[in-house]
Amino acid sequence: MKALNRRDFLRTSGAAALFAATPGLAYSQVVGGGGAFTDYRALVCIFLFGGNDSFNMLVPASGPEYDAYALSRQNLAIPQGDLLPLATQGQGSFGVHPSMSGIQSLFDSGDAAFVANTGPLIQTTSKDDFNNGSVALPPQLFSHNDQQDQWTSLKGNTVSNTGWAGRMADLIRTGVTEQQMATNASLFGANTFQSADETVAYVMGAGGPLQFEGFSMDPDDILFQQRETFRRIVEAEYGTVYERGFADVQQRAIAAADTVTAAIDSAPPLNTTFPASQLGTQLQTVARLIAVRDQLQMKRQIFFVATGGFDSHDDQNQNQPGLLGGISDAISAFQTAIGPGAGGLDVADSVTTFTQSDFGRTLTSNGDGTDHAWGGNQLVVGGAVAGQQIYGNYPLLEIGGPEDVTGGRMIPSTSADQYAATLAKWFGIPDVDLDVVAPNLANFAQRDLGFMIP
Amino acid sequence: MKMNRLFSLLASVSLGLAGCGGSSGDTPPPPPPPPPPPVTKIEAVQLLQQASFGFEAGDISAVIAQRQEGWIDSQIALPPSLHLPFVQAVPPPQFQFQLQADRADIWFRHALNADDQLRQRVAFALSEILVTSQLGALNNAPFALADYYDILVRNAFGNYRDLLEEVTLSPAMGVYLSMLGNRKPEPTLNIRPDENYARELMQLFSIGLVELNIDGSEVLENGQPVPTYDQAIIEGFAHVFTGWTWAGSPSFEQARATQQNQVVPMELYEAFHDTGAKLLLNGTTLPPGQGGMQDLDAALDNIFEHPNVGPFISIRLIQRLVTSNPSPGYVQRVAQSFNDNGSGVRGDLAAVIKAILLDDEAHPDMPMEIDGKLKEPLLRVTQVWKAYNATSESGRFPLSFAYILYGQGPLQSASVFNFFSPFYAPPGEIRDASLVSPELQIATEYQNTLFTNLMFYQVFGQNHLSENLQPDDIYIDFSEEMLIADDIDALIDMVAEKLLAGEISDMLRAEITGMLTLIPETDTAVRAAETIYFIATSPEYAYQR
Repeated sequence: MKALNRRDFLRTSGAAALFAATPGLAYSQVVGGGGAFTDYRALVCIFLFGGNDSFNMLVPASGPEYDAYALSRQNLAIPQGDLLPLATQGQGSFGVHPSMSGIQSLFDSGDAAFVANTGPLIQTTSKDDFNNGSVALPPQLFSHNDQQDQWTSLKGNTVSNTGWAGRMADLIRTGVTEQQMATNASLFGANTFQSADETVAYVMGAGGPLQFEGFSMDPDDILFQQRETFRRIVEAEYGTVYERGFADVQQRAIAAADTVTAAIDSAPPLNTTFPASQLGTQLQTVARLIAVRDQLQMKRQIFFVATGGFDSHDDQNQNQPGLLGGISDAISAFQTAIGPGAGGLDVADSVTTFTQSDFGRTLTSNGDGTDHAWGGNQLVVGGAVAGQQIYGNYPLLEIGGPEDVTGGRMIPSTSADQYAATLAKWFGIPDVDLDVVAPNLANFAQRDLGFMIP
Repeated sequence: MKMNRLFSLLASVSLGLAGCGGSSGDTPPPPPPPPPPPVTKIEAVQLLQQASFGFEAGDISAVIAQRQEGWIDSQIALPPSLHLPFVQAVPPPQFQFQLQADRADIWFRHALNADDQLRQRVAFALSEILVTSQLGALNNAPFALADYYDILVRNAFGNYRDLLEEVTLSPAMGVYLSMLGNRKPEPTLNIRPDENYARELMQLFSIGLVELNIDGSEVLENGQPVPTYDQAIIEGFAHVFTGWTWAGSPSFEQARATQQNQVVPMELYEAFHDTGAKLLLNGTTLPPGQGGMQDLDAALDNIFEHPNVGPFISIRLIQRLVTSNPSPGYVQRVAQSFNDNGSGVRGDLAAVIKAILLDDEAHPDMPMEIDGKLKEPLLRVTQVWKAYNATSESGRFPLSFAYILYGQGPLQSASVFNFFSPFYAPPGEIRDASLVSPELQIATEYQNTLFTNLMFYQVFGQNHLSENLQPDDIYIDFSEEMLIADDIDALIDMVAEKLLAGEISDMLRAEITGMLTLIPETDTAVRAAETIYFIATSPEYAYQR
């Protein structure tokens, strides 16, 4: 569409002042009695939609472990010589997919770690438990949307509408009352992960928030009346739940757009070049938002970014290099942008990036691809990560082996709750509240997987 | 002055006055039996919002004249406006994917201009249930996608069993959910059939994950829902759907797409079909040794006869057309019409659509705050475009990127899970009351702001007065409004009539009035544009009664 030139419209410097003067807006969070955070920490969730085939992302690189992998995966196995070796600290021989040289570097420099064979569990589950139905299982295993829900909500077999990032934002809300933007920000649409009871995530575009065209903050400008008219319309009383739901979104949009865009526009451009991919664009925007954390008085932030295409039922060998390489390249650029090097934001110790995905994929092939499975490997990156290690138990990738429920669907040996709780603890959630973030945590012996430096 | 920059976008046009139409003469009352009360304008518009892509005065009078059922019957009788022939008639571009723009073009042209509005609207609803998308491998198969859309158009009032079979064998669905090329097991290579289509056919296209009562509520055993299938049943269906690929290929393994085989059903290669026994739903097992078509027929029958299909499909169609939160009774009445159309036929979609649109709950006497739904962004757009005779100099609407602008576009979903979930419940009162509002999932801060801005560009930058438009720029015509723009009340009345059937709130009228009084009455275009902008971006316009 043909757009009017945005520069023809307002560029306000008084946005923050207006924001502060309108306490009724949705972004003024509930003020309570808790202590305020003084330092800054951010979590960046990269959700890999479709179910990442992560047993081709992190692969045993030698010996009987590689042989079992190759025998199971057949035409989908990465040739041994193509794997990029990882300098693990005594955890055996592993390599990453040949497209992930950026992750190899981050791992070897101690800024990245993997958590092996992780997935939704209600309690520790053996193959016998699974076959006998003797333990509770997350419902609808192997279904995309249900397992996305499990990963992001950790609800197990209960009814819940909140996500673990949403619950974290609720728990810390009294400690971040000065923040001018919601703790949770999504660059990939509304999501369960950030859904909460008390706080509301702010949804922006991959490139950041949009301003409303034709609104001015200058009271002498007729376009100020334009804005005020619009604002009063969306703040009016409505008779149906749908109009109110729609109007609520518009209220949040108008309140945040000016504040956040003004802050972003005030910051110098990043020096790092990001890949022009969906994920690269989102992570670039996250870096720009992190750059203006002080202007926005942010102390705790959780970003949701995502990319799709991982449901590799078809043409896996053709598509996997682009998918996994895309993650690697985008994360590498992000770490450079927030890192201590020249032109970097030097905030890498305060930002932890981690993956989630629907599920792992079958070790067996359907000819040219894989199907929905359960456990998978996750990637954690950041200066506060106790890196160069593989946490949890990497299974022997054997069809019919002790972790395989059929077709090479691996029962997770580490629960998504443990993974979440470890990140939540670093984020500043007190131990007593970790069970709120990760409701099944009490069913597992290890409350902290140890991959985060406190 | 900033205001000058805004206003200079528009040519200043001298104002004029136009009279409004008068009322027609009375007709003498007919003899007994007394007729039902006349269909009101509000009732007519309510049906048109549910059953079309927008309304003009002529549409309203047609519904009033024919009454609702007569209008629906006449709509069902209209011949289908198809999409594929248009795409096939376009001069071949350099790359096939460029035809996605033409596929979108004909979608918008039919939405705005086709007579068979109800059929097109139902096909759109079906495209959000039986999802395929240009985003992915099908970007290079525009003919397959246009043909797929026509399957939905042609079967919109047909039988759901036939629709399921055409969808299953369509190459578009074959590519999208990887049944195309799916082959029998080769155990020595750890190769087993692809489970993708088997799973989503059941989860999303027919029965769902858990057993349902006929009113759509979940069957509970010991307080827990009952799964409809397990992994073994998925594997059974995965074996059923083996042996199919592009028609007319030299061999199963050398199959590839052509312009011709994109638009015909996939072809069976028996040597690649698994001939073992196959576990299906309800304890049924297919015997070994059957051919691929025999297996497929039996498997689709097995799904189609599952008692979930009626309530499952009924809920989704009700949500797409009428309301996000139908009562159990409404679902049950519609599901019963799915199970038996009155003549003993199961799966008659014409009966289902009539049951949905003619139910009392589709036009409640005393609306509740949970009746109705939010309009999808595409429907918000088509309604404005229809009311304001949108067109472009080229006559085209080549919006292959509609999904970026509006968060959705025709066959442009990011995944088989559609643009939004039927279960989406935003935080706040909707979720607290255990209600849903699927469309709110894509009414995010970002998308709503973008939509608001697109309306701003539309009214100020792309209208009948705009200069320097590109050939494909879509512009609207509000010359009629400009003629009366000196009279603020009359102007608001006119726009509210076109966009809200006159049902504008006092609040919105007062706010727009306040804004218009700041604009000189000689700036008729600005006044008209502002009025359209504020109504088309308002919460009350976004709501479908």
